[in-house]
Amino acid sequence: MLNILMVGNGQCGNRILDAINKQAFGGKTKFAKFYSKQKFKSRVETIVINTAINDLKELKHTKGKDRIHIPHLHGVGANRNIGKSVFTENKDLIMRQIEDRGRFDVAFVVTSASGGTGSSFTPMLIRELKERYDFPIYAIVVLPFREEGTLYLQNAAFCLRDMRDSGADGIILADNQFLKQLGGDIESAYNGINDMIAERILFLLDALDSDMMMVTDLGDFKTVMDGGAGLATIGFYKADKDVPVKTAIQKALSPSGLLFSTNVYDEASRAMIIIKGDKSYLSIDDISNEVEKLASAVGHVFKGIIVRNGEYPQVLAVLTLEFASELEKLYSVAVDAIQHEREKKERVDSKKEINKAFSQLDGLEPHY
Amino acid sequence: MVKLSRTFLLVLCSIVLLTMLSGSASASVEYFEEEIKIGDGYQINNYVIDVTDVFITDKLAIFKVYENGDNEPIHDEMIGINESFNFDLENGEIELKLLSVGSGVLDRASVLITVRNVDTYLTGIVNGGHEYATYSGTPVIELTKTVDEDNIMVDDIITVTVTAKNTGDDKATNVIFSDPKQEHFILDKSILEQTGPMSMDVGASQTVFVYMLKATEAGSFILKSSTATFSNSANQAFPQASSNTPTITVTAPESLEVQKYAVLELSTDVDSMIVARNDKITATINIKNTGDAPASAVWINIIIPQGLEYVDGDSAIEIIGGVPKIYMESFGVQGEKEYPYTVKASELGTYTLTTKLAYEYDDGVNAEAQKDSTESVTENIYVQKGKYDELLEQPIYVYALPIIAIIAIGAWIFHRHKQYKF
Ligand SMILES: Nc1nc2c(ncn2[C@@H]2O[C@H](COP(=O)(O)OP(=O)(O)OP(=O)(O)O)[C@@H](O)[C@H]2O)c(=O)[nH]1
Ligand SMILES: [Mg+2]
Repeated sequence: MLNILMVGNGQCGNRILDAINKQAFGGKTKFAKFYSKQKFKSRVETIVINTAINDLKELKHTKGKDRIHIPHLHGVGANRNIGKSVFTENKDLIMRQIEDRGRFDVAFVVTSASGGTGSSFTPMLIRELKERYDFPIYAIVVLPFREEGTLYLQNAAFCLRDMRDSGADGIILADNQFLKQLGGDIESAYNGINDMIAERILFLLDALDSDMMMVTDLGDFKTVMDGGAGLATIGFYKADKDVPVKTAIQKALSPSGLLFSTNVYDEASRAMIIIKGDKSYLSIDDISNEVEKLASAVGHVFKGIIVRNGEYPQVLAVLTLEFASELEKLYSVAVDAIQHEREKKERVDSKKEINKAFSQLDGLEPHY
Repeated sequence: MVKLSRTFLLVLCSIVLLTMLSGSASASVEYFEEEIKIGDGYQINNYVIDVTDVFITDKLAIFKVYENGDNEPIHDEMIGINESFNFDLENGEIELKLLSVGSGVLDRASVLITVRNVDTYLTGIVNGGHEYATYSGTPVIELTKTVDEDNIMVDDIITVTVTAKNTGDDKATNVIFSDPKQEHFILDKSILEQTGPMSMDVGASQTVFVYMLKATEAGSFILKSSTATFSNSANQAFPQASSNTPTITVTAPESLEVQKYAVLELSTDVDSMIVARNDKITATINIKNTGDAPASAVWINIIIPQGLEYVDGDSAIEIIGGVPKIYMESFGVQGEKEYPYTVKASELGTYTLTTKLAYEYDDGVNAEAQKDSTESVTENIYVQKGKYDELLEQPIYVYALPIIAIIAIGAWIFHRHKQYKF
């Protein structure tokens, strides 16, 4: 049995962890927590951290003792510098909370890249954890909608840089912009995206700790995440009808299955594919064919198979990326954004000069 | 009598004529209006109409028709303006009409050529006339498939060679070879594979495929034929050519291996045969492989009758679709395992617990996995009245029980609510 730590920072991280806790109850309604038990195979500890108390209050499926409030107004207002100093002031409190929960084999930290709290807490938290413990730590990072504004874009760019410097063992990307097609108002789009991420993470946790597995385990996951440029994403497909396993694998690797826009055949560097379902779907020939197709374009591909009687095929793919053209695009927009912010600030500064000019008149009256 | 036979002949003729007309249902007409210089010709398929002389003042021209580039013309006609002459070509007919004549460095004739019911694949002016035209013929591709050995053992390797030769009278163009995948054999190595497209001159030969096949099973097998598609120099496509199909006899090796079996023995024991209602019973499944081959894909289903309830059991037991099951990828020779589980007796009665086992194994002789299954049934389990059953039969508990249940549920919801409150 594995010991798994899951931390969610900031509003986005909090809500995704709450979605994971909710799905773990299995029930579709918010009352599931009253009548069912979470079905984690491993010992999973979930912790959510936020500066804004209202964000923490909104959660429904995370225990009170797992919600950590770091008091600072109502959030840090997307200012990463304030976020960093608030973390430093409260570091001991946060680290004690984690320490109290025993030893872990692996940790996942979830955050948005573009807010204030999560995006500044997460890299610092990972750095602290890395100094104290030697289990692998993976960040799950949500990128903003591109139209959310220049501030968010520049936060995302700097957050990702800090994240790579933090010593994290891998960064799994999910992109709000790319997942936007889920549609609806912003609230239901968020919920939809969070549920997608939660479903994949639960499948992954289940696979890492499954005794019925052939071939993959936490060690393989580490090897996959070591590949590429430290960036990864996850693809997933769950059939709701009789679908050949070949199609299921292809769908998991196609845009509709991925959390981040990439052409896996061009950009991926290592992969792990886990296939779950009834024995009748698990044609070794078909699976090998598809996996080989990917392997010939990518590199090493680990495959795992879980037999589940009577279930339609489900496929999860973890892919590390050698190159992420979508991220390059985001960075070039972010650089423009930073430039733009700087110019705006200079303009404001020069306005201050004008104020100074006016202030020379303070206390004087016109004389005629 | 004479009159009669004449009428008869007339009727016969009209019938023949009618059938001819309806036969050419696909009647087609093409027109070509051309200006041809003296010495040049006009080609239709393998025929060329040369303009050999033009007389400007007399308004006459001389045409000669050649077939297949022969030296002797098959027609030699002199016609005036607005005159025409006809001749048969293949299954159709050509009408050539002189429209006008003109003078120049070389005198010329303008003609209207009407082509009826000819499948034209090649038309146009030929500079220099019939001697300079290209004629098409019939390429014939002969494909030969040979094997170095046709009487082999399983696992032996044969070399298959496919050669092609053009034995026709025209160049073969656009030749594409293909060779189907061979059942009962696996491709061991491909040494040469020239699928084209290529062209083959008259008389040319060519080795197209050389590959090695490994026999995977015993039997007498016919190798599939290789095929070629091709066209002639005029780009007319011809029916696909096929090779011969050698027969290979594959003998099974003297089987040295003895057939092996996986024999899984199954038994289920319970810790007590007489229990009170609401008591628990522990059953233990014992499984042992007493055969000489390992078993694979082992499924165990535990069938619990109504009146008994599955409580929990060994961590290998999973509940799938409400049925407790165990799956093992493999189970070695002489292996033995025990899986305990507990059931609760929820209703009075007599019960048995059934365990069903299915597995596969490789018997070392047959290619496909062998399947086997077995089941075991416990002795009777008697569930009798429990200690409190007597009390429960009192009507007051009929009311008390739901109340206790409601209180318990309320307390649980309150507890959970507090746990998740923030
Ligand atoms: N997928 C998803 N994205 C979210 C959610 N909530 C916020 N975001 C995104 O996260 C970014 C904002 O970051 P937040 O997590 O709200 O910010 P924070 O970490 O709480 O920081 P501050 O509020 O600035 O203190 C924006 O790009 C949002 O689009 C959510 O529930 N799901
Ligand atoms: Mg916030």
